[in-house]
Amino acid sequence: MITRENKNPILYKVGRKHHEYRIAPKINKIWDRKRFPFTRRHFLKWRGIYNLKSLKRERMLSDKLPLWWLLGLGFVLITTPFLSNQLIGVSSIFCVYATINILWTLIIGTAGIFSFATLAVVGVAGYISAAANVYFDVPWPFMFIIGTFVGLVFGSILAAPSTRLDGLYYALLTIGVAEICRVFVVQLRVLAPQNGSITKVDSFIPNELFLQREGILIGFFASFVLLLLALLVWRLINSERLGLLLRTAKTSRENEAFAEAIGIDFRKARLVVFIISSAALGFVGAFYAMYFKSISPSVFSLDQLLILFAMMVIGGLGRADGAVVGAAIVTFIDKGLIELGPLRIILIAVIMLVVTIFAREGLTGARKQFRSFRKRKSGERRALRTEKNGEVMPEEATEILDKQEIYFRKFNKRLRDKLKKLITPELIEEHKNAPTGNHSDSLARVLNFFRRAETADKYALKKIYKEDSNSVYQVIAFSGVKTHPPRIVDDKEYSKLSEALHAVFVLRVNDLLES
Amino acid sequence: MDISIIAYALNLASIYALMAISISMIWSSIGMINMSHGATFAVSGYSAWYFSVIFKPIIFSFFGKTLLAQILMGSVLIGSAMLAGALCGLVIYFLAFLPIHDKPNYPVRSLIITLGINIASIQLLLYFFGARNKGLPKIFGFGRFEIFNIPIRYDQAGTIISTSIILLIMLIWLRHSRMGIEIRAMMQNPEGAAYSGISRRITAIPVLMITGSLAGISAALLSQTIFVSPTSGSIPLIKGLTIALLGGLGNVPGAMIGAILVGFLEAIVGSIQQRYVMFATFIFIITILIIRPRGIGGLLDNTRE
Repeated sequence: MITRENKNPILYKVGRKHHEYRIAPKINKIWDRKRFPFTRRHFLKWRGIYNLKSLKRERMLSDKLPLWWLLGLGFVLITTPFLSNQLIGVSSIFCVYATINILWTLIIGTAGIFSFATLAVVGVAGYISAAANVYFDVPWPFMFIIGTFVGLVFGSILAAPSTRLDGLYYALLTIGVAEICRVFVVQLRVLAPQNGSITKVDSFIPNELFLQREGILIGFFASFVLLLLALLVWRLINSERLGLLLRTAKTSRENEAFAEAIGIDFRKARLVVFIISSAALGFVGAFYAMYFKSISPSVFSLDQLLILFAMMVIGGLGRADGAVVGAAIVTFIDKGLIELGPLRIILIAVIMLVVTIFAREGLTGARKQFRSFRKRKSGERRALRTEKNGEVMPEEATEILDKQEIYFRKFNKRLRDKLKKLITPELIEEHKNAPTGNHSDSLARVLNFFRRAETADKYALKKIYKEDSNSVYQVIAFSGVKTHPPRIVDDKEYSKLSEALHAVFVLRVNDLLES
Repeated sequence: MDISIIAYALNLASIYALMAISISMIWSSIGMINMSHGATFAVSGYSAWYFSVIFKPIIFSFFGKTLLAQILMGSVLIGSAMLAGALCGLVIYFLAFLPIHDKPNYPVRSLIITLGINIASIQLLLYFFGARNKGLPKIFGFGRFEIFNIPIRYDQAGTIISTSIILLIMLIWLRHSRMGIEIRAMMQNPEGAAYSGISRRITAIPVLMITGSLAGISAALLSQTIFVSPTSGSIPLIKGLTIALLGGLGNVPGAMIGAILVGFLEAIVGSIQQRYVMFATFIFIITILIIRPRGIGGLLDNTRE
C-alpha cells in the first residue's frame, strides 16, 4: 500500500465540533504514548480519528482538563514569587483553602456524606499537634504524623453515626461537633492559656525568617506542595477503585440497590473514603498550625465553615477543579482586596447569589450547562420545522456517515412532494381503465416512482387456484426482511388481474399521500 | 436551684419556638433551609428600632405618658418588625425560590443563596447603622410580679403571653383557613398537593412572608431583653435550626416540645455556668438525634402508629 507523508495537511471543517484542534500524526509511525511509571495509564487522553473529508489520520486530545490544570497551577507557581508579601500570603492561603476544599469534596462528592466537620478535624488535629510541639517539645516533622493520626481517630469517631443519620441531620450533628470543639478549646485553660489559642509553634519556617520575605516564600512553596499532595490524594481515591465503586452507588436509592446487588459494599467504601480524607485533613491541620505558627478557636467558627462551603458551591460541588476555582475567587476577593473594606464581603455575597442563581453546577459546570442549553434550543428549533418527512435535518446529518444517503433522502422528499400534486381523480380513473399499456405523462411519472421503491414498500399479487379453474388474486406485502414471509394485506379477492393491479395502485397512492 | 429560672426558661422557649417553627415550616413546605432567617431577624429588629425612634416623640406628644400611648408604641414596634420581616420573606422568595425552585440542585443552591443574602444584609446593616448596639423602648415596662411564688419580669411575661397568643392564632389559621390548609397539604405531601391543584409557586409567597413576620415578632420580643445589632440574628438562627432538627423537620408540635426542652436546659445550665450553654445544648441534641434519627417528631409519629 502506498502511503504518503502529509506535510501540509489541509484540515476540513467536518462535523459539529469542527473547531476542535487536531494534529496530523506522521503516517506509518506508531504513537509514542508516554505512560505513568509502573502503571498502564497515559499522561494525556489522545484519541485517533479519521478526517471524513480528507480521509487522513488525525489525532485529538479528548480530555483537555490536565492542560488547564497545568496552566493554572503553573501560573500560580511562576507569578507568586514576584508579588508583594501580602499577595504571596494570599496565594498561600488560597493553596491551604483549596487543599481543605479538595479533601472536603472527596467527603461530600465522592463519598456522598454531608459532613460539615472538616474544619473541626483540621482544628482538633492542629490543636493537638501544636500542643504536642509546645508543651512536650515534639520536633516539628513529627507534628504531621500526630496530626494525621488524630485526624484518623477523629474521622473514625465522626464516621460512626453517618450510616445511621440522614443527610441534613448528619450535617447538623457535625456543625454541633464543631461548636462543641470551639467551646471546649476556649474553656480548656490548661491547653490554651491565651483566650483559647496556642502560639509560638515550631515549624518549617525558621523563627528568624517568620514574616520576612524568605519565610513567606517558604510558606508559599510548602502550601503549594500541600495542594499538589491533596490533588494526588484526590486522584488516587476518586479516579481509582474506590471512586469507581462509589460512582456506581451515586445519587439515588435505585443506584444503591443496584450496587448492592452486584456485590459492591458501598457503605464500607464511603467510610473508607471518609476516614482517609479525615486523616489527610489532620495532616492539613498540623500544617495549618505550623504555617501560622499559632492556632486560634476561630478555625472552628461557623462563618469560616460556610465561606468554605460557598467556595465549593461557586466553583462546582463535587469536582476538584470547582473546589480550586471557587477557593481562588473567594480568597482573592476576601484577602487580596482588603482596601475595599466591608464592600468585599458584599461582593462575595453577590457573586454567591449570581453564580448559584444562574449556574446549576457552579462555574466549572457552566460550560456543560451552556452546551445542554444550546442543544435543547436547537432541538426546539428542529421541532418547529414540521415539514420533515424523511428529509435529513442538519443536526442529524453529521451523524450519517454515508453522505450520499443525505442527498438521496433530500431528493426523494422533493420528488414525493411533486408527485403528490399530480394525483387527481382523473389520474386514478385513467389507471382503472387501463392498468397496463401506454399512459399519460403524469401517470407514467407516478408509476415510475412506484417501480423504483424499496422492496419493503412494495406489494405483490398472489394467485390462488380454485377447483373450478376460476383463479383469484390477493394483495400481499413484502416484509423486506429475509426469512420473514410476506403478509396478506386484506382478505379481498379479485377475479380479474386488472382489478388487482388497480387495487395495488390505490394502496401505493395512499402510501404516497400519507408519507 | 432558683425557682425564677422557670420564667427565664419559658421566655427562651417561646422565642426559640417562634424561630424553630418558621424554619421547620419553610423546610417542609418548600424544601429550603433558610439561612437568611437570622438576617430577617436583624433587619426587622432594626426596622422596629427605626420606626420607634420616629414615632416615639409623635405618640408621646399626642397622648402623654398614658396606657394608650404604651399600647400604641408596642403596636408600632411589633407592626413595623412584622412588616419588615414579611418584606424580607418576599426578597427571599424572589431571589432564592422563584428562579431556581424547579431546577436541579435546588436544596443546596437555595441554601447558598440564602447564606449570601444573610452575609450581604449583615454587611449592609453594618454599613448603614454601624456596629453599635441599639436599645429598643420597653413596651411592657419595667418591674416584676409573682405568680405561685415565681417572680416574673414584665418583659418575660409579655414575651411568653404574646408568643402564645401569636402561635395560637397561627395554628388556628393553619388549621382552618383555605391558605393554611394548602400550606399544610404542601408540608405533608408536596406531590400530592401539586396533583390536587395547589401551586407551589403561589403558596410559597405566604409561607415565606408569614415565617418572615414570625422572625420579626421574635426580634421585637427578644430585643426587650437584649440589644439589636447587625449580627444579633446569628445565634437565634442556629438555635432555631437545631431545634427544628431536634423536633424533626416539618413537625410543628415536635418543634414546640424541642423549644421548651432546650429552653429549660439552657436556663438550668446557664444558672450553673453560663459558658457551657451551647456545649450542653449541642450534646443534648446530638444525643437525641443519635437515639432517634428523626428527632422528637419521629418519636411522636412512632407512638401514634
